[in-house]
Amino acid sequence: MKNFFASPLWREFARIVAAVLAALLLGFIITLFVSDDPVGAYRAFLLGPLTRLNRFGDWIEESITLIFVGLAVALVFKAEQFSLGAEGQLLLGALVSGSIALFVPLPAFIRIPLALLGAVVAGFLWGVIPGYLKAYLGANEIVSTLMLNAIALKIYDFLLTYHIKPPNAGYTASETFTADGILPNFIPPLPFLADIRKLFVQQTNITVALYIMIIATLVVYFIMYRTPFGYELRMVGANIKFARYGGIDTKKVILLTMAVSGIFAGLAGAHLSMGIHTKLILNISLGLGFEGIVVSLLARNNPLGVPFAGLAYGYLRAGADIMERSSDVSREMVLVIQAIIILLVTAERIWPLAQTRLAARRAEQEQAPAAPAASH
Amino acid sequence: MPLDVVLRGIFSALFVASVIRISTPLILPALGGLVSDLAGVINISLEGTMLAAAFVGVVVSAYTQNVWLGVLAGMLAGLGVSVLLAYFHLYLKTDIILAGIAINILCTGGTIFLLYILTGDKGNSSTLASGAVPNVHIPFIKDIPGLGTILSGHNVLTYSAFILTWLVAVFLYRTPFGAHLRAVGENPEAAASVGIDVVRTRLIALCISGWLASLGGLNLSMAYLTLFQRDMTAGRGFIALAAVFLGGRTPWGTLIAAIVFGFADALSNQLGSLKIPPQWVQMIPYAATIIALVGYNLRRRAQAAERARRFQEKHLTEMAAAQAGTD
Repeated sequence: MKNFFASPLWREFARIVAAVLAALLLGFIITLFVSDDPVGAYRAFLLGPLTRLNRFGDWIEESITLIFVGLAVALVFKAEQFSLGAEGQLLLGALVSGSIALFVPLPAFIRIPLALLGAVVAGFLWGVIPGYLKAYLGANEIVSTLMLNAIALKIYDFLLTYHIKPPNAGYTASETFTADGILPNFIPPLPFLADIRKLFVQQTNITVALYIMIIATLVVYFIMYRTPFGYELRMVGANIKFARYGGIDTKKVILLTMAVSGIFAGLAGAHLSMGIHTKLILNISLGLGFEGIVVSLLARNNPLGVPFAGLAYGYLRAGADIMERSSDVSREMVLVIQAIIILLVTAERIWPLAQTRLAARRAEQEQAPAAPAASH
Repeated sequence: MPLDVVLRGIFSALFVASVIRISTPLILPALGGLVSDLAGVINISLEGTMLAAAFVGVVVSAYTQNVWLGVLAGMLAGLGVSVLLAYFHLYLKTDIILAGIAINILCTGGTIFLLYILTGDKGNSSTLASGAVPNVHIPFIKDIPGLGTILSGHNVLTYSAFILTWLVAVFLYRTPFGAHLRAVGENPEAAASVGIDVVRTRLIALCISGWLASLGGLNLSMAYLTLFQRDMTAGRGFIALAAVFLGGRTPWGTLIAAIVFGFADALSNQLGSLKIPPQWVQMIPYAATIIALVGYNLRRRAQAAERARRFQEKHLTEMAAAQAGTD
């Protein structure tokens, strides 16, 4: 047991928990200043998602999206590629899966897998572009993915406004998908589960995306740690020059990493369109690509950690929504907390620095009683 | 018929003036992005910096009823945000991109959070009586038809955007510190080896960057509009970053690239009457940026290959000469 507590893994974990707790504490201090009932507000924030089934559902749905995006980000970040392209891949994933769900007249058991496949392909291809530009033409992936995000958003808006939206609709959104285009509830329609299934269908949108998410997590773990490609990916991330000298085709790895990452961002889009909204709407994402970065960071880019990080972060977001509805504190508080978490988790030197300070103080305290003794 | 309406719209002095007006909140942060990028620190947080400055400018000008105090406070807010970024990146060794993302999130959330506390509204600050920076009417030029519309009557910040482009060019290429800054961006180890303080140089570059971005933010909330709206930067910080690369990482190139983005935006407004979807026009500058980025890299690569070839040739002739000497 002692070995475990001394292990780097444990230290990483403790460090992230400490960062989250520190951020939550800061959030509470802010709440004290702005709220008439800070304790009530914070209670709603921290316990809200567990108080009702529909709130619980909101939490899980939100987390599933975040976990998909988190997996996408974990892949590229593990290879030290700062691709911010998940947002665009997600949008196109939502667009393609939503279009198939709307317009392809096939029975559900073909249409839904086809729509998911469409989302996967869209995300993959939208990752090939920055991957190729980075690997073979040397284009900075941060700038190129930001541009591609903007282009994807324009494509999404254009197709939704001019082609997908029913001509006489008052606002810019597609028609609601029929049951043949909506992901089914996660509880199978078995007779002995009928009651509980009915409850969940009425109050939540938790769908089979839950199972897809679990499989996706295992797949990413398998790719990263059990395949030659995953080994090469990690080598590129650890030291790209060393990887190149070792005979790894680093260009191919970079291209593939960004493309494979798109698969999972595409699935996040499919979950948004076919699971949560059940139609295509404007502003379907609103920066979820960036939220995925937080999730991946909290998981230290480890795919097996992503679901836990996604659930934790989804909990904070769901809690913030409830806090806004039931108190005088607005939900943007969670953005402030989120920013503090990122800064505290990523500041490489903050813990060594804190340790040095602590050690210095301890040394001082030990010296303090020693000093009078010496003067005698 | 609608086509000539559009064409007449585009070739009018009013349209050119509107391009200049729309470009201003892109030029200023783009110059900021250029300065930090040349110092080797890519500033993702231009967006957040602009938001913070736009918000603080409006609030302070509303509470003090003094426009210039608002502008000053907005600049300080922008500087503060940059110092925070610099502290985390340079001192606590946070990755610059992740720190930048965190700061964007902080500023987006923070401004809405505070807006709600101050006004009870999460959308905009219309209940606050905030100020606007004055417009400048240039004597004589303002009376010339056409030219007067284009050149005169803009706000102070628009003029300063053009003057600052020139100042940034002078600063980067005509001052010792500018040379140091570019050296640090080009090769930090080499710069450090000749005694340049890399951390200090980058700190100053980030501060300049934040200050320029804050002017862009102030232009949005105290000139372009005279109130603060949530997320009012709407991605301009990222477009500014793109303009740096589209402009080939030079001050004048960046200025022109920012105006190209402004032009596309103004054009897409005009095209409404032509039934061309505005999304297509708005997409062009982003695609152009990617192409420019690739072109820039290929050019640099070709230059490096050329240098290597010349060095090799020179080396070979020297070797041959030495050989001939010993023989």
